[in-house]
Amino acid sequence: MKKIINIILFILLIGGLSIANFMKKDGAFSEFENRPLAQFPKFTIEKLIDGSFTSQFETYMTDQFIGKTFWTGLKAKAEQTVLKQENNGVYFGKENMLLEKPEELSTQLKKNIDFINQFQEKNQGFQLTVSLVPTSIDLYPENLPPYAKTGKHMEIMKIVSHELNEQVQLVDPLEHLKQKKDEPIYFRTDHHWTTLGAFYTYQAIAEAMDFTAYQFEDFAIEQVSDSFYGTFYAKGNDHAIPPDHIDIFKPKKEVDYEVKADQKPILNSLYDDSFLSKRDQYAYFLGGNHAKTIIQSSVHNGKKLLLIKDSYAHAIVPFLANHFEEIHLLDLRYYNASIQQYIDEHELTEGLILYNSPNFANDNSILYLKY
Amino acid sequence: MPVVYPHPKFIIGRDGMVFSSLPFLFYFLPLALFIYYISPNKLKNFTLLVVSLLFYAWGEPIYIFLLLFSAAVDYLHGLLIEKYRKTTPFKAKLALTSSIFVNLAVLFFFKYANFLVDNINHFTNFQIEALDLPLPIGISFYTFQTMSYSIDVYRGVVPAQRNPITFALYVSLFPQLIAGPIVRYETIEKELMHRKWNAEQFSDGVRIFTIGLGKKVLLANTLGALWNETQAMPPNELTVLAAWLGILAFMFQIYFDFSGYSDMAIGLGKMFGFTFPINFRYPYIAKSATEFWRRWHITLSGWFRDYLYIPLGGNRKGQWKLYRNLFIVWGATGLWHGASWNFILWGLYFGLILAFEKAIGLKLLQRIPAFFQHIYLLFIVLMSWVLFVSEDMNFGIHYFKTMFGFAPLWDQHFMYQLYTNIILILIASVAATPLWRITDRKITNSMIRNSIEWLIITGILILSTAYLVDESFNPFLYFRF
Repeated sequence: MKKIINIILFILLIGGLSIANFMKKDGAFSEFENRPLAQFPKFTIEKLIDGSFTSQFETYMTDQFIGKTFWTGLKAKAEQTVLKQENNGVYFGKENMLLEKPEELSTQLKKNIDFINQFQEKNQGFQLTVSLVPTSIDLYPENLPPYAKTGKHMEIMKIVSHELNEQVQLVDPLEHLKQKKDEPIYFRTDHHWTTLGAFYTYQAIAEAMDFTAYQFEDFAIEQVSDSFYGTFYAKGNDHAIPPDHIDIFKPKKEVDYEVKADQKPILNSLYDDSFLSKRDQYAYFLGGNHAKTIIQSSVHNGKKLLLIKDSYAHAIVPFLANHFEEIHLLDLRYYNASIQQYIDEHELTEGLILYNSPNFANDNSILYLKY
Repeated sequence: MPVVYPHPKFIIGRDGMVFSSLPFLFYFLPLALFIYYISPNKLKNFTLLVVSLLFYAWGEPIYIFLLLFSAAVDYLHGLLIEKYRKTTPFKAKLALTSSIFVNLAVLFFFKYANFLVDNINHFTNFQIEALDLPLPIGISFYTFQTMSYSIDVYRGVVPAQRNPITFALYVSLFPQLIAGPIVRYETIEKELMHRKWNAEQFSDGVRIFTIGLGKKVLLANTLGALWNETQAMPPNELTVLAAWLGILAFMFQIYFDFSGYSDMAIGLGKMFGFTFPINFRYPYIAKSATEFWRRWHITLSGWFRDYLYIPLGGNRKGQWKLYRNLFIVWGATGLWHGASWNFILWGLYFGLILAFEKAIGLKLLQRIPAFFQHIYLLFIVLMSWVLFVSEDMNFGIHYFKTMFGFAPLWDQHFMYQLYTNIILILIASVAATPLWRITDRKITNSMIRNSIEWLIITGILILSTAYLVDESFNPFLYFRF
């Protein structure tokens, strides 16, 4: 009796899951993880010999496993049960807030500062501003689990302010954001900031870049989503955490925009509605990451901004677009041609470099500023 | 800037098919069992041979030829040795020497040639180019197995195997192919030729395999993550307590990894009708290093005892030879674990301690309370694991320095690691002792006992699947050997 049940359990679980996996139709894309899923690898003798078939098959099985959300959620639960405070590099914070476990700083930071300095020296007269934005872990250390690692923003800013050429303006929005930390300036389930967080930073940047920012009253606030589960959620897999909502600020004053991202058709909006029904709702802002995005506005003041950025910029661009005739966003992770040439060609008048600080410290594509 | 120490090489390596992986659990194993059990009895050995070769091919398609070459060589040598054993002992001895030579040559060429070249280049002016061949999976295990076969045939312990398929099956039998236990031919000779199926054996197999899977996935991998975090830091930047916690995590990781893998092998063996020898008997409850080695990797230490230590004369040829033999055997044991000086040092360290225990240590130990004997052994073992993980000697030196106080006592990161791992460590500590087994025996109601077993089996299978689906972190410690 005992023997038979052992065997039945084994056959039911191992055999049952094997058959279920075999029968299940493979998915092409995971909305949950926001990435394409590995497909059954093509078998060739060469691929078997060099080992790529094996590793592709392993990825395929992990990607396509039946009931994946259930399994990853169960693992997260098990980890929490044994007092783990993190899962896949994401801390389970208080107030349903997920926070990213910070990486140690590397030599990349000093290199990146140096790339900016070199760029500035070659482009004397081109007014350059650098703004490095803290991430949620820097604003809400009190939400971290006890004794967890704290954010690196202050450490990064100390090095940056010490090493950065004085000709370059540096804007650290930390203090501005701290004053507003009771408001939802960061997403709880995603690594980005909200439109509100971007709004307060926009005010700080306006001051430094010498234009007059619009005030809160100048905008109509509109909620576009109440079902945003971001990247932290996909890593942490604690399914009890409620979703975020996304608000946008629409200027009361009528402004028209034309957005041209890479080879895509021109849009007449700063937002791409199609992403609201997808998993990665942050891509609603400017339609996600592109190598080059050009925004022309109906503001005719002759000011043309070069914006070197990561995705944090996408939430602040809707504010900046009200002050520049053109904004040229270059994402150095994808845009690898000469920046200097680009400035000359498009007669850009000033520049802003905007990243979140840990990303700036670790990104190895800032190197392209040299060219 | 923090110096990043290289990842210990024994973790990296061409992945073979690991038992604790989704492709194995949910493709290979069910298919293998299905094909095996629908094969007619006469073809079962052949089926299992093909399945085993496919298993090997998953990780190392090219080295299949090496495996088959090794099997063919020993098959022929076995026949030769048997032919001349009674009539012309000289020729039998020649055949045996040739067999051992080929096995060691293969092992040396693939496992140690690079190490030798590196050392020659380092200590002389030569600039010999290294071959940089990937280590064939399981080579340290199957060469030892086939050597034991030749020697046993020579000694008359077993008759030579005449059926090449049966012999090839012995060499390539997939449950024990890549990480042991080291199964001697003698142990499974009968089962290679006649296996009987019974539900009890299969059900034991399920239980042992599942427990092994849980040890590997739920304990070794999770505590391995703690050790990984520790060893990614430069050791001179660690705090004292973090260094102790880190090596403690490694102590559990290597035990649950290796014994879990042995359990899975034993369990799979049972599912296919084989009885493999037990490989670990709660080594961390030992009270001396001597006892530890009777409980740790039993098939390896048994191999060295029977095929090296005793032929060298063991302890029967006087004091000097005893210590010489200990030195040779433990140097070899260390070297077997990996082609690197720290492994040799690790082996010699144990040789030294065992020599000390043989001389006076064991007598001294008996005079102190059992509790302190345990502390003594755990201390010895923890220190040994620092040697084991220090392929870079500088790492080891700094690690020891940190452990022994040349660093702050603790910091907040240690506190974080401690409370987020304490439950796992407690579970691991209990799982590393026979406590559960003893408790289980005391439960007299067989219904309750069985229900607990079913619950544990179901729980481990489900949780392990969850971890495997989620986990990208699933390194396998023993491919290096």
